[in-house]
Amino acid sequence: MFGKKRTRELLLVSFLLTPALLIFFVYRILPLLWNLVLSFTFWRPAKTPEFAGLEHYNEMIFYDDVFWEALSNTIIYMAGMPIAIALATIVALLVNARVGGRNIYRSAIFISYPMMPVAVGIIWQWLYNERVGLINYVLLSLGIIDDPIAFLQSTTYALPSVMLVGIWQILGFFMIILLTGLQSISQNLYEAAAIDGTSNWRQFWRITFPLLRPSLFLCFVIGVISSFTSFDLIYVMTGGGPGHATELLITYIYKTAFELSSFDYAGALTIMMFVLFLGITLIANRIAGGEAGKIE
Amino acid sequence: MMRKNRTWPIHLALITISMVMLIPFYWVLKTSVAGENIFAYPPSILPKDPHVFFFVDVWYFIPFVRYFFNSIFVVTIVIALNLVFNAMAGYALTKNFRGKKVVMLLLLSCMMIPFQATIIPAYLVTAKMGLLNSYIGLALPELSHIICILIFKASFDAVPKSLVEAARIDGVPEWKIIFKVMLPLSKSAIATNVILSFIWSWNQLLWPLIIIRDTEMQTIPLGLSYFLSYFEDTTGALYAFCVMALVPTIFVFLLAQRQFIEGLTSGATKE
Repeated sequence: MFGKKRTRELLLVSFLLTPALLIFFVYRILPLLWNLVLSFTFWRPAKTPEFAGLEHYNEMIFYDDVFWEALSNTIIYMAGMPIAIALATIVALLVNARVGGRNIYRSAIFISYPMMPVAVGIIWQWLYNERVGLINYVLLSLGIIDDPIAFLQSTTYALPSVMLVGIWQILGFFMIILLTGLQSISQNLYEAAAIDGTSNWRQFWRITFPLLRPSLFLCFVIGVISSFTSFDLIYVMTGGGPGHATELLITYIYKTAFELSSFDYAGALTIMMFVLFLGITLIANRIAGGEAGKIE
Repeated sequence: MMRKNRTWPIHLALITISMVMLIPFYWVLKTSVAGENIFAYPPSILPKDPHVFFFVDVWYFIPFVRYFFNSIFVVTIVIALNLVFNAMAGYALTKNFRGKKVVMLLLLSCMMIPFQATIIPAYLVTAKMGLLNSYIGLALPELSHIICILIFKASFDAVPKSLVEAARIDGVPEWKIIFKVMLPLSKSAIATNVILSFIWSWNQLLWPLIIIRDTEMQTIPLGLSYFLSYFEDTTGALYAFCVMALVPTIFVFLLAQRQFIEGLTSGATKE
């Protein structure tokens, strides 16, 4: 009797879990394994696969300059995230202050985050326009530059310009995460510090910053993820160019697979990207977890 | 009292920041309604004799209605099935069963695999199933989000056990417990689920770009990127198209601002 009930319960649970697990199996686990297989194979659509050993990895590391360029761009893109986090911290402190209409400010700053990246990329491309773009117009009017700059067509400016858009879009999101962190800090600490006559500056570094650390790391992890996944913005704004100046790993993988049909090599690139992604995320999580533990 | 006198620098800073965040939207709107040549220099700050010519262009000369329908159709399927599948899985995870730990571990590790790292085999699988160029193919990878399962689980776990037990003792069938007890108490989980699956599906470019070949099947982001590659930035219609692509998101945002912000943050903080 008892056993029967248990079996029924297990049946119910499996029924409830099946659809979701099936999706994750087909679109997460299977692709990961398949990528791994691809990365050790010579294969093109409608050809029989052949074992390739480490050939793809060998090519990637020793002969593929674009891979290294894409990798270094991805890391530079990631390195822009601490700037975004620092800015977001300032903004979060400002919107956490007791000022009227702060909810309006929060919404105004947040709203860029959920916007369709394709449209955002097009909007910024227009702002960056060499002849009539708002940015060039403002910089010229203020006398900061003498000649208009073709931001997205220049190998020097293209990557920072695209990064700026990425930062602009994610800033509001970081702000909200940090705001949640700020609001969880007990007001008593500040009151005690104020009684002791501690300056605002010291209060920030002694109280706010250490207690905000988990939220800061969370932002960093999200920033890392975004540097590995920001396909849309790059695809729309520069297509990875000029040359490969704004090529990220993800855009390079897309091109290798779907423009050149080198699925096998793209599989190896994906494995490389995934390992890097996992490594950095785990390290960041670890540090965040360790720091979070320290506070309690 | 001191505080009151000193809020103006904060206001000043916040107004400046808000302007920087909002000017791009103003600029695209201004360009989209400009009656003049959009390449006139210097660019005018206010639109000169504004009209909706570019919007009419987008409506009639590209299959915008078609793109819009495709997007809405896919998004609707995605939201509906996400609610069903995630609530089901979330409910299952509130129970104790053999292998629960394995399932949890599996879900948490799947969360570490970004969709972008799966595109090649995902394309090959979808091709094998004969679902390239189809609505089902578009929706399939997005039909369940792990984060939403965990949000449902947390929400169901928060329902008082005594309530569920009482219902069970009264002989209320399992499905009725879900619909009459669990779900009405999980409104915010439902809202989060709807918002997250809406945003992720509505904005998705990469997946449609890979599996869609026909113009008929293009979604708004894909149509927009094709429009860009055909006409580059030569016409103001491009910006009218952008505005039309952003309006639904802005609409949903204004409709449910609080849930929207909370939903997106809880989507991230549980990662």
